[in-house]
Amino acid sequence: MSSSERPIPFRFDLPSRRQAARWLLPAFLILLVLTALLWLPWQAQRMESNDRQEQLIADTLWVEQAIRFQLSSDEESLGLIGSEVASGYLSGTRLRERLQTLMRNNREINCIDYVDASGNVQTSTDDACAHLAQSNASANAAEHARQMHTPQYSQPAPIAGNNGPMQMDFHLPLFNGERYLGSLIANYRMDNILDQMVPWWFAQDNEISLTDGDDNVIARRAAGGLGHGVYTHAHAMELTGATITLHTNSTKSAPKLLPNLLVGSVVFLSLGLLWSLWALWRDINRRLRAEGALRQQVAFRTAMENSLVTGLRARDLDGRITYVNPAFCQMVGATPEQLIGKLPPMPYWAPEAIDEYRERFAKVLAGHVTPQFETIFLRANGERFPVLVFESPLVDDSGKQTGWMGSILDISDRKRAEELSRQQQEKLQSSARLASMGEIASTLAHELNQPLAAISSYTSGALNILNGDGTLDPKVLRPALEKANAQAQRAGQIIRSVHAFVKQREPNRETVQIQSLIDNVMPLIELQAHQLLVSIHASIAPALPPVNADRMLLEQVLFNLMRNALEAMQDTLPERRMLRVQAALDTSTGSERIQVSVIDQGHGIADVVAERLFSPFFSTKAEGMGMGLNICRTTIEFHGGTLTHAANPNGGTIFTFTLPVATGNMELEHVAHRR
Amino acid sequence: MLHIVDDEEVIRDALMWLAQSRSIACTAYASAEEFLDMLNAERTPDAQGECLLLDVRMPDMSGVALFDALTARKLTQQIPVIFLTGHGDVPMAVDTLKRGAFDFFEKPFNDNKLMDRAQEALAASLHAHASAQVQTRLATLSAREQEVLELILAGNMNKVIADKLNISMRTVEVHRAHIFDKMQVKTAVELARLLK
Repeated sequence: MSSSERPIPFRFDLPSRRQAARWLLPAFLILLVLTALLWLPWQAQRMESNDRQEQLIADTLWVEQAIRFQLSSDEESLGLIGSEVASGYLSGTRLRERLQTLMRNNREINCIDYVDASGNVQTSTDDACAHLAQSNASANAAEHARQMHTPQYSQPAPIAGNNGPMQMDFHLPLFNGERYLGSLIANYRMDNILDQMVPWWFAQDNEISLTDGDDNVIARRAAGGLGHGVYTHAHAMELTGATITLHTNSTKSAPKLLPNLLVGSVVFLSLGLLWSLWALWRDINRRLRAEGALRQQVAFRTAMENSLVTGLRARDLDGRITYVNPAFCQMVGATPEQLIGKLPPMPYWAPEAIDEYRERFAKVLAGHVTPQFETIFLRANGERFPVLVFESPLVDDSGKQTGWMGSILDISDRKRAEELSRQQQEKLQSSARLASMGEIASTLAHELNQPLAAISSYTSGALNILNGDGTLDPKVLRPALEKANAQAQRAGQIIRSVHAFVKQREPNRETVQIQSLIDNVMPLIELQAHQLLVSIHASIAPALPPVNADRMLLEQVLFNLMRNALEAMQDTLPERRMLRVQAALDTSTGSERIQVSVIDQGHGIADVVAERLFSPFFSTKAEGMGMGLNICRTTIEFHGGTLTHAANPNGGTIFTFTLPVATGNMELEHVAHRR
Repeated sequence: MLHIVDDEEVIRDALMWLAQSRSIACTAYASAEEFLDMLNAERTPDAQGECLLLDVRMPDMSGVALFDALTARKLTQQIPVIFLTGHGDVPMAVDTLKRGAFDFFEKPFNDNKLMDRAQEALAASLHAHASAQVQTRLATLSAREQEVLELILAGNMNKVIADKLNISMRTVEVHRAHIFDKMQVKTAVELARLLK
């Protein structure tokens, strides 16, 4: 698993097209090979067949030549004898001996007759033969030969009136000048011609036959069996007077297409090849499908990881980072390349917490994983942020653990929210305190009013009676004075109970930043300022030293002064309703003091009012009870400061209080407190 | 008669003591309802005049509500109201002052000043009561008698009046007698003083 791989885009249409192209060439080649494999035996068979045919034709020609040559040689021998007969040199027994000699040397001749001009047989090599009646064809040939003065072969035919073997006669007419002397007739049995003149090796492989002009078979030799009619050849024999065709028909059948194991194995292997190709194709298709599904899954998962706001980080068993998702990279501000392959210490480890990481990492290596813990990581810009880490084992497909997968939540927002809510809670409490302060004062005033009013009335009445003329009976005054006394006691009790309530809370001094005081009071004041259309400008000098004070009391002083300022501007023109708060360091008195001013542009303070400004129960406000400024001054003085007021040159009033800066010891305490 | 309405018993007691020390007759009521019950009962207005010291804050019916009820009955002239306010009620008290309350005092108050104002209120009450009586008597006069009355107040003699109204002297004298009778006076001087 590599996290650095880019997200794989979906491409589902392309593989099929590409696949088709990829398959086209091999399919074409395989088709060619198969064609060649099929074509080659066929071609070989054809070549073999052609060879045989040509061989047959050559052999046939050769046989015909041989027959022709033998017959010509017979013609010449008969010619020589005929010329001697014609010259009268040969006759009778001598002729017969010469003819018999000729027949012995040429065994294809059945018999030879010498016939005189009148057609009587003079001499015959075989008496039986001489008695044989001549066929009509032979008679025709004899007549033709005598008229044309040329030797003639008769058309082969059986002897007249006989269905015996076909015979052919050679008529050699003999002339002495123009006088016909007779004829030498050589008789051939057609089957003898084939038996004697065709060599045995040829006869063994071929059926040989002779046919006449009408394709009637006149002789046949089939020593090796009948021909198969596959390889045949016919050749006309040039014999004067006879039309004879030599037919050869090979006993060999056509060459078989699959005659041997070679072709068989080629076909078998081809089939095997085809099958294996098909299997391969099917397998690849299946793989492609699986790959597509996997790619889809990977893309889906990548999209999921990229959309997560939770950081993901995988480590192998050595603690090396093997994977990070974009959220994690964004969190720590590093690229995947900077993180993957890293061994501890990691770039996002905060230096101060490195021991903690090491300890936990050692536990991880030992197999003891804390499934969930909070820690601090470091961004690239040096910022620390709190994270919540969940660790779980990373298991491969065989169930073996290969590392650890951690999901990391950036909880700085949550922490911030918690902090914010805590601050708001504090503000709520402080505003509740401020409100309760007013409530207490109001209740106190009301509670005290009753007994004081009663006392006043009793004593006034008593005085009226005393001032009256006439005799005075002291007993008359007694009940009124007793009642006045009781009311005075009651007022005292109220005061004591308030005192006890106030005493419950001792001033709690701590080092306080003026800025934080103003920040705490501001939300409440802003609320009121919005209603009264007053704009607030705070200018706090930077890096002010803290003061040692009770935060709550000082907040009340600020709140009172600022609220007074707001209320003083109720009748001011809206564009002049501006409240300024300034805080600065004042060294004019020799010691360092913080000076805070609340400046309004309101109605100002008349001189008459100014004289009594800080007196208790003095108020210019209808609802005021005259305690606010009094308490403020008391509080400031309690903190070792002063509260003064002055007229604002721009109209309105400036209330200013100063507070001593916290001493060095306090500074230390302050630091300790912050920690 | 000084009426005191306050829910606080101590205050009622103290104010009664104070009033008695100044010889002012007074009655105390613990609530506004109690006071209204007294008003609704058959009663004759006190010859010494009447005044109401009214506490603003009371449970159930408040002082302001009672004041509104008196305003509705047009009694605020005959029974002037002095409000006693606690802390924070001043704007409301000022408002009632504008609507006809006699005065207001903020607790704790200057007691004798309060009593002085109460006596002034009693006197005002008497005066208001008297003028109310005159108005009642005037209402009984007929239209002609009213005309005659105005001419008498203008200082005309009977004869002049008879001429102006074009009636006989005798008739004028009869009207005059009726007017004196209804207005419960004996002389023209007395009549003029009453209607001043």
